[in-house]
Amino acid sequence: MSELAIRVHHLGKEYRIGQAQHNTLRDQITAGMESLLGRASQRKRRKDKIWALNDVCFEIKKGEMVGIIGHNGAGKSTLLKILSRITEPSLGRAEIYGRVGSLLEVGTGFHFELTGRENVYLYGAILGMTKAEINRKFKRIVEFSELEQFLDTAVKHYSSGMYVRLAFAVAAHLDPEILLIDEVLSVGDLAFQRKCMEQAQSLRESEATVIVVSHNMFSIKAMCDRVLYLSHGRVLADGTPEEVIPRYEEDILGGKGELDTPRWAQSKLGSDPSQRPVNVTDMQVLDESGKARTVFEFGERARLRIKYEMRQDISDTNFVVALIRSDGVACCNYSSELDGFKINGSLGQGEFEVLLPPLKLVADLYAVHVVVWDGKFQQLFGAQICGSFHVRHELFSTHFGVYHETAEWFVREREHV
Amino acid sequence: MSTYALPGSPDHSAQQAKPPVVVQASKGLLRLDLRPVWEYRELLYFLVWRDVKVRYKQTAIGAAWAICQPLLTMMIFAVIFGRFAKIPSDNVPYPIFAFAGLLPWTYFSQSIARSGMSVVSDANLIRKIYFPRLIIPASAVVAPLVDFALSLLILIVMMAWYRVTPNWAVATLPLFICLAVCAALGVSLWLSALNVRYRDVGHAIPFLVQFWMYASPIVYPVSLIPNQWRSLYSVNPMVAVVEGCRWGLLGKESPEFGAVVIGTLVALILFLSGLIFFKRMERSFADIV
Repeated sequence: MSELAIRVHHLGKEYRIGQAQHNTLRDQITAGMESLLGRASQRKRRKDKIWALNDVCFEIKKGEMVGIIGHNGAGKSTLLKILSRITEPSLGRAEIYGRVGSLLEVGTGFHFELTGRENVYLYGAILGMTKAEINRKFKRIVEFSELEQFLDTAVKHYSSGMYVRLAFAVAAHLDPEILLIDEVLSVGDLAFQRKCMEQAQSLRESEATVIVVSHNMFSIKAMCDRVLYLSHGRVLADGTPEEVIPRYEEDILGGKGELDTPRWAQSKLGSDPSQRPVNVTDMQVLDESGKARTVFEFGERARLRIKYEMRQDISDTNFVVALIRSDGVACCNYSSELDGFKINGSLGQGEFEVLLPPLKLVADLYAVHVVVWDGKFQQLFGAQICGSFHVRHELFSTHFGVYHETAEWFVREREHV
Repeated sequence: MSTYALPGSPDHSAQQAKPPVVVQASKGLLRLDLRPVWEYRELLYFLVWRDVKVRYKQTAIGAAWAICQPLLTMMIFAVIFGRFAKIPSDNVPYPIFAFAGLLPWTYFSQSIARSGMSVVSDANLIRKIYFPRLIIPASAVVAPLVDFALSLLILIVMMAWYRVTPNWAVATLPLFICLAVCAALGVSLWLSALNVRYRDVGHAIPFLVQFWMYASPIVYPVSLIPNQWRSLYSVNPMVAVVEGCRWGLLGKESPEFGAVVIGTLVALILFLSGLIFFKRMERSFADIV
């Protein structure tokens, strides 16, 4: 078990960004002329290269389950792309011992005009299987996909669910020794994510090595024995989930006073909250009795204490507290306007508290966004990501949906015949 | 590592003994490393098969298009160049003279037109999955051979109609077809790799194909070219290919030996330089395609 699966040695990958990409010959010629005339200096001086990965070193042993976490743009996906040989590193090397299968995205390579049967062969070959191997596994692939009766239908007539099922069935039978999964890319298709994770679990029993990129700390904790935390292209931490994950969460939650703007609002409001009509300066997550908390049991109530600053008078402020799950799903909104509560919108500072109803959301990490609208949800005055908290429950996970509530059940007596 | 194969997955045991795959920035122009291409040869087969299957899907007359295109072109040529312009055809009926030239030409032009765009149109694959990228233009060069074989059948029918019989030279035909494949692959490797970075290539290809056709003896015989220009003319490998096909199929006089040698050399140079250029460019395909 102590044998190596992957050795990564001072790996670096440089990307050009922002620079005028010479996509047509004319651009290239213009750039060439400019450099001849000595005007290239301006162009060159611009900082147009970034290291997506920078001096990354690690070793992974056979049979390890490793999670890779980090912010967007930390280099996680680039690392997987290099390990799966899609792109070359600029520096350093990676040694890979064994057959690699990657679930970076399933179904690229399918041809819409071909039938399901034909696509199994085509996709299998693209993933690196031989014809004999596909022949041997064909029956199992079809059984797994549950699409026997549609095998001779062109894939263009498939629903998207059927399409993914067939593609996944092929990918799952690649029997890799090293499996790379990028969960971040497959966001939005929970069924697919779950299948990926089940597949990873079953591979674990066959001594395969699994590397997962994920934003979902719960699945990382549940699956992995080891976590690599990447930040700005470097390995910031490498250890057990218990050691590394808290550090990552501290980093995303921490930095008090620096309350980020959600991406959707940046074009409307700019990126500097202090220049807006309303700026949330602080938010504390407390329990019902007013003690600071980050983890809530399912059904507990959270109290949010929010401090804000008005830079102009707004007559009808409408503060909205939104809970956004770690995978980006907006789960619920609480609006001061809809709840009939007036918040003082005159120039200066203010403070208020929201006591949320008992949390019925499934176990996950939730970010709290505070968004300020006018009473009619027409005009936006401010929007910030203010903090986050966990909800804990041993059963209710994202597989259960967004929230869980008890229903009422009744027995109806059968009519006597 | 287990020393025994896992049940149900016999592939593992075969893989264990292999040396590791090393991923690093590749250096040197001449380290071509074609071993992965050989390992993925079945993918070449499947991509060719995909191209052939998909090409005439949802068309009314299907694969008949493969025959119609050169046949209709031949008819137009026969009327305009053979009947009106009275271009000589070396004592063979003009229609069959033109068709024997169009056959390798249609193959060649189809290959470069399709493969020039091939890497870009399979961009999704390149961004998401590893396999030797060389397979993509290679499959686009192999697939039109199927159309070629179909139109060869038509030519045989036409030869029977005009009572043209080939002589022993028909045995050289495969060699000239190989030469056409080699030249097509060379040009394709250049164009497909260039097209990833400069999309100008996509616009230039139709013009290039048209120009190249008039630079090859398709509608006219080589005998029209003045003697002092012949060696320069032979730099175009399609001259040797077209002349060779006419020799093999129609029993016409043999092409000049010198022309065949020059054409073959140029085709080989195109192929090797194309291979080096493609291998050099392929490193950045996933990042810029």
